[in-house]
Amino acid sequence: MLDILLPILIFSALALAAIGAVRRIRLWRQGRPSPVPVLGGLAAVPRRYLVDLHHVVARDKVMSSTHVATAGGFVAAMALAIVVHGLGLAEGVLGWLLLAASATMFVGSLFVARRRINPPARLSKGPWMRLPKSLMAFSLGIFVATLPAVGVLPPDAGGWLVAVLLAAAVAWGLAELVFGMTWGGPMKHAFAGALHLAFHRRAERFSTAAGPGRRSTGLKALDLDDAEAPLGVETPADFTWNQLLGFDACVQCGRCEAVCPAFAAGQPLNPKKLVQDMVVGMAGGSDAAYAGSPYPGKAVGEHAGDPHGPIVAREGTALVDAETLWSCTTCRACVEECPMMIEHVDAIVDMRRFLTLEHGNTPNKGAEVLDNLIATDNPGGFDPGSRLHWAADLELPLMAERGEAQVLLWLGDGVFDMRNQRTLRALVKVLRAAGVDFAVLGNEERDSGDVARRLGDEATFQSLARRNIATLAQYRFDRIVTCDPHSFHVLANEYGELGGNYEVSHHSTYINELLEAGWLSLKASRLGRVTYHDPCYLGRYNGEYAAPRAVLDALGVERVEMARSGYRSRCCGGGGGAPITDIPGKQRIPDMRMNDVSETGADLVAVGCPQCTAMLEGVVAEDRAVVKDIAELVADALDESAPAKDRRRVTEEEAA
Amino acid sequence: MAFDALFKPIEIGNLTIRNRVVSTAHAEVYATDGGMTTERYVKYYEEKAKGGVGLAICGGSSPVSIDSPQAWWSSVNVSTDRIIPHFQNLADAVHKHGGKIMIQITHMGRRSRWDGFDWPTLLSPSGIREPVHRSTCKTIEEEEIWRVIDDFAQGARRVKEGGLDGIELSAVHQHLIDQFWSPRVNKREDQWGGSFENRMRFGMEVLKAVRAEVGDDFVVGMRICGDEFHPDGLTHDDMKQIAAYYDATGMVDFFGVVGSGCDTHDTLANVIPNMSYPPEPFLHLAAGIKEVVGAPVIHAQNIKDPNQASRILEGGYVDMVGMTRAHIADPHLIAKIKMDQVDQIKQCVGANYCIDRQYQGLDVLCIQNAATSREYMGLPHIIEPSDGPKRKVVVVGGGPGGMEAARVAAERGHDVTLFEAADQLGGQITLAARAPQRDQIAGITRWYQLELARLKVDLRLGTRADAATIGDLRPDIVVLATGGQPFLSQVPEWGYAEDREQSLVVSTWDILSGAVEPGRNVLIFDSICEFAGVSAADYLADKGAKVEIVTDDIKPGAAVGGTTFPTYYRSLYEKEVIMTSDLALHKVYREGDSLVAVLENEYTGAQEERVVDQVVVENGVRPDEALYYTLKEQSRNKGQVDLEALYAIQPQPALATLDDDPNAGFVLFRLGDCTAPRNTHAAIYDALRICKDF
Repeated sequence: MLDILLPILIFSALALAAIGAVRRIRLWRQGRPSPVPVLGGLAAVPRRYLVDLHHVVARDKVMSSTHVATAGGFVAAMALAIVVHGLGLAEGVLGWLLLAASATMFVGSLFVARRRINPPARLSKGPWMRLPKSLMAFSLGIFVATLPAVGVLPPDAGGWLVAVLLAAAVAWGLAELVFGMTWGGPMKHAFAGALHLAFHRRAERFSTAAGPGRRSTGLKALDLDDAEAPLGVETPADFTWNQLLGFDACVQCGRCEAVCPAFAAGQPLNPKKLVQDMVVGMAGGSDAAYAGSPYPGKAVGEHAGDPHGPIVAREGTALVDAETLWSCTTCRACVEECPMMIEHVDAIVDMRRFLTLEHGNTPNKGAEVLDNLIATDNPGGFDPGSRLHWAADLELPLMAERGEAQVLLWLGDGVFDMRNQRTLRALVKVLRAAGVDFAVLGNEERDSGDVARRLGDEATFQSLARRNIATLAQYRFDRIVTCDPHSFHVLANEYGELGGNYEVSHHSTYINELLEAGWLSLKASRLGRVTYHDPCYLGRYNGEYAAPRAVLDALGVERVEMARSGYRSRCCGGGGGAPITDIPGKQRIPDMRMNDVSETGADLVAVGCPQCTAMLEGVVAEDRAVVKDIAELVADALDESAPAKDRRRVTEEEAA
Repeated sequence: MAFDALFKPIEIGNLTIRNRVVSTAHAEVYATDGGMTTERYVKYYEEKAKGGVGLAICGGSSPVSIDSPQAWWSSVNVSTDRIIPHFQNLADAVHKHGGKIMIQITHMGRRSRWDGFDWPTLLSPSGIREPVHRSTCKTIEEEEIWRVIDDFAQGARRVKEGGLDGIELSAVHQHLIDQFWSPRVNKREDQWGGSFENRMRFGMEVLKAVRAEVGDDFVVGMRICGDEFHPDGLTHDDMKQIAAYYDATGMVDFFGVVGSGCDTHDTLANVIPNMSYPPEPFLHLAAGIKEVVGAPVIHAQNIKDPNQASRILEGGYVDMVGMTRAHIADPHLIAKIKMDQVDQIKQCVGANYCIDRQYQGLDVLCIQNAATSREYMGLPHIIEPSDGPKRKVVVVGGGPGGMEAARVAAERGHDVTLFEAADQLGGQITLAARAPQRDQIAGITRWYQLELARLKVDLRLGTRADAATIGDLRPDIVVLATGGQPFLSQVPEWGYAEDREQSLVVSTWDILSGAVEPGRNVLIFDSICEFAGVSAADYLADKGAKVEIVTDDIKPGAAVGGTTFPTYYRSLYEKEVIMTSDLALHKVYREGDSLVAVLENEYTGAQEERVVDQVVVENGVRPDEALYYTLKEQSRNKGQVDLEALYAIQPQPALATLDDDPNAGFVLFRLGDCTAPRNTHAAIYDALRICKDF
C-alpha cells in the first residue's frame, strides 16, 4: 500500500511546493528592481552555503553539527526518497543510503528537539516548537518505510494500519519540510535562504574560487538625481526585491537579538522582530502570529501593514514605530551574527532615510544636528573656522601650504571636543616622535558625513562627501590616517561610490606599523591590567581587531579580554546617531559596556574611537575604569630621551 | 563647547597664542643670580606652560637701566647682555610646551629704594618723594632722559635676541613712563612736562626707540593703569585719551590694563585685590580702554575662576584674561579645564601671601600650594602614585597640614585615615574665615574637601584620636598635625582659666568661633599683630561692639602684609575701632560686673586702665604636643624628622626601615603648629615634602 501512497504524497508535496514557490517569488518581486546574475548566483550557492554561511553557523559547534546532520540528512533523504519511493528504484545501495540519510536526519532532529526543551529566549516559539517533531516524523517515517525496500522487513509488514501510520508520518513531514518551505512554514528559511545566498545584494561578501569574500559594510548611495526613485523606504515594496528575499530567509534563531545592544538596554528594538515585521509587511497582515521576543516595551499584535502601505505611520501605528528604527546604533552586531546573511543595518537606514528626507522627522536632537551640519559642516554647530583652535600651539603643517605629505591626518569633528583634543594631541605627539611626514586639512576639513548618513540624511552626506572629495583631490598623499573609526569607515568604504578612493588607516594600525618598523621608542609601561574595547566601526565594519591589541602588547600591559570582544564586541551606544536620537530604554548601553569592562577587573579600558571615549567616559560608577585612547597610551609611554626620527629624511637618504 | 571663549586662539602681532589666558607680569623675586633667570625661574614658567597657559609675561618690573635697581626684588636684569643666553633657556622651556613668553621691561624711576647695593640716586620727572617706599629722588635731566630711552631700546634688543616672544613696557604702577604721564608727579615745564603731548613725550620716545630697535615683527605691548584713583592723578578719561594716543601710532601690539594707581598703601591694595574685593573689581576700566583702542586688551585682577574668565571673554569686555595668582595657586589650571577636572583646580583664595612676601623682597610663594616655584627642587604639582607597597597612613588633625598630608599620601596610593576632633575640616582656616571679608580663605579647605573625597580618604570627623584608636588601625606611618591652642596662660596676671566662667580673658578663637558671645565694650590685646587680632576686632565691631585693639608692637595689623592691612584698616576705621600701640596688657581684674584691664606703656612703664566688659587676648598658639609624646617612644624614628633630607627634598630615611622590618611599629612625623606655631604655608610645605615619598 505504501508503494502507492508514498509516490502520491511525494509528488503532491513537490507540486504544492512549486505552486508555493511561485506565490512566494511574487511577494519578493513587489520590491524594487535590483539586477543580479541569475545563473551565476545560483551556481554560487553551494560554495556560499558551505563556506561563508557555515563560517557563521560554525561559531556554535553543537548547532552547526545539528544542522549538518538534520539538513544534510533531509536533503539526501528527500532526494533518495524521490528515487526510491517516488520512482520505486530501490535497487542496490540506494535504499541503504536512504536508510542512512534518514537515520542521520533523525539523530539531528533529536538535537533539534533537545534545544527546544527550555529554549533560550532568543529562539522563536510557535510553529518552531513543532519543527523537531516534524523532522522526527519524516525521518522516522521514511526510515521505517524504507526497511521493506531493502529487505530488512517483509513487504507490507505490519499490515495496513502500520502503512497508514507511516504514510501519515511521511505526509506530516512532507507538509512541513517540502511544501511548508514555500508556504510560509519554519522551513521557509531553507528555500528563501538558498535563494538569498544566490541573489544577495552584497555579492562581494562571499568567497569565490579566487579567494575569500571581503567585508562589505558601506551603505549604498541613494541616487538623488533620479526623480522616480523613492527617497529611502516608505513601504515594504520600496525595498529592493532581494532585500525582501533576505527578510524571508530569517530563521528566527535570535542570534541578532542576543547581541543587539539596544535590545539589551530595553530600547524598543529587536532585529529579529524587525525582520519578521518586514515579512509580515510584504505579505500583508498583523504581527499577531509572531512568536518571539517583542520589541522591549511594545506588545505584539498591535501593528499591521501591507506591501504598499507605510511602514511607519505619520500618526498612530503602522507596521513599525519610528523609535524602533531610531534605537539602532548601526553597530552591525546583528549582521555579523546572522547565519542567513541578512542586512539589518541597510534596511534600518533605508527606512530612516524616508523619515528624515520625506517626513523631516528626525527625533530629539537629530534635526538640530542635521541643521548644524548643513550650516556649519559640523554636527555641533561650531564656527567652521575654529577647527584648529585646539592646536594653535602645535603649528600643524597644513595641506593648503604644503600641497603634499606622506600622511594626511584626518582630524574629524573631535577637534571641537576637549576630550578628543587630548587624543589628537597625543596622536600628533606620536607622529612627531616617529618623524612622520604629515599634514592636516585644517579648516578645509568637513564632517565626514557619517552621522548625517546614518540619520538618514543622504543629501547632506553626499554634499559633505563631495566637498571633502574635491578638497582631497587637490593634494598628494600616500594615505589618510585618522583616530576616528567613523571617518575612517566613510572615507574608506563610502566615498568610493562618489569618486573618492583612498588608502585609509586607523591610527592604531598606523602606530602599530610605526612600532614594528622601529620608529617609536617606548618606555616600560606602568599600566596595570588593561582591556580593549573594539569600536564597531573599526572592528566589525573594517575588520581591524589585531593592530590595537598589538599596540597594547607592545606597551607591555597585562591585556585582558572582555567576554564580548573582537567581532562580538558590544557597542558603546554611540554609533548611528543613537546618542542624538536618544531613544529611552531601561538602562544605558555604555553602562552595560562599562560593566563588561569591570568584569575583567581592568583598571583601564583602551579605546580607539572618539565616540566610544565619550560614551564610556560618561558612565558614572564607583571605581569605574579609566578610559584612554590608544594614542594617549602610546604618547604617555614615549621615551622622549630617544632622539626624534625624521622619517622623511631617512626615506630620502635610503632612496638616494 | 564649554569654555570655548577661553580656548579661542588670538593673534597678537605676528604671534598666535593658543588661548585667552595670561599669566601677567609680576615680580617673582627668583632672579637671585644678579638678575639672571635661574633654574627656579625657568621651571616656574615652564610649569605654567606645561599646564597650558596661553601667554606668560614674566619679570614684572625688570629694569633696563642700572639706576633702576634690580636687587631689591631680585628682578630680571635686562640692563646687561649677560641676560641673553638665560632668556634662551627660558624661551625654550616655555615654547617646548606650546606656550608663549614675554617680559615686562621698565625703568622704575622713583619707585624703588636707594639705600643699598649701588646706592643709586633715583630718578623722577620732578624729584617728588614716593611714599610707599619712602624714596626720595632727583629730578631727571635731559641727558639722562635720552640715556634711559636708549636703555629701553637695548633692553628690548636683549629680549628679542634671547628668543622671547615680546616685551611689555611698564607704564603702570607709577614707573618712570607713567611718572611722566601723571601731573601728580610731573611738574616739569620743559618739553617733557606740562601739556598732554609733552607728558606723553617720554613714553612715545621710548616706544619709537624700542620699535626702531626690534622692528615691526616683534611684539611690543604696554601695561597701563585704568584710573590712578587720586584726585590729582590721572582719571579714567585721561587714561582713555593716553591709550588712544599711543594706539594711534600703530606701534603697540597690546595693552594690559590695571585698575588703580599704587603709590600709596591704600591704592596699592587695589592693584592686587585680596579676598575682600568682589570678582574682577576693575574690569570696567579695562573695558573702557578697550573701547578706544584697536590693539587687544589684557586685564588681570581677581579673575580666578574659569567660568568667570569665560563670562568676561564672552561679554567681550577684554580680549585676554590675566589669571596670575590663579596660576600661582594652580599652574595646571588650563590643563585641568581641558581634562574635565574643573573641580580639581586649586583656586586662588586671595590670601595674597604671594604678593605680600614679594613686597618684603621675599620670593613669591603660594599660601596653599607648596610646589609653586619649587619645581626645580623636584616638588611635584601632580603627585605620581608610589611604586612601592601600599601603606596604612594615619593623619591626625584636619587643618591645612593634616589635609595636605592626607592628600599627598592618598595620591601616592596609600590607605589613608584622617582624624579630626572638630566636626569639619579646616582647623584654624575655619576660624580665619569667620571674620568679615575673610570668608574666601575657606576656599583652601573646600579644595581639600573635594580632593580628599575624590581620593577616598577615610575621614573620621568629630573624632579625637588617641594612641589606642591609632594603634587599632595598625598604621605604617602616623602624621600628627594636631595644631595647638591659644596661648593665654603665658601671663598669669591676665587671669586666664580653663573654665570660661572663671577666666577673665577670652581668646580671639573664642570670639571668631562664636563660642563666646561678643561683649559690648571690648578691649583686644594683640601681641602678635597678624590676622587673628584685627580679624577679631573687625568681627566684634561688625557685631556692634565698641572695640579698642591694643598692642605693645608697632601697630595692630603691622605683621599683616602690604596688600591686606589696608583693607583691614578701611574696615576698622569705618567701624570706629580704636587702634592703640605701645601698650602691653599688664593685668586684668574684675570689678563688679566689669573688667578692668591694666595697660603698661612699653617705653615709659606708665600704667593706664580700661573698664570694659570683655577682654580678648591674641597671643599666638601653644602647640598641642600631648599625643606626640604619647606616641613618640613607640615609633621607629622617635618622631624625628631628618632635616638634611627634608631640606634637600629627599625621602625621610625612616621610611626605608618599613621595608626592613614590617612589624617594628610605625614611623611618626609631626608638622604644623603642633610642633611650633608658624603659618599655613609652613604646615603645607612640611606636609608635602615629608609625605611625597610615602
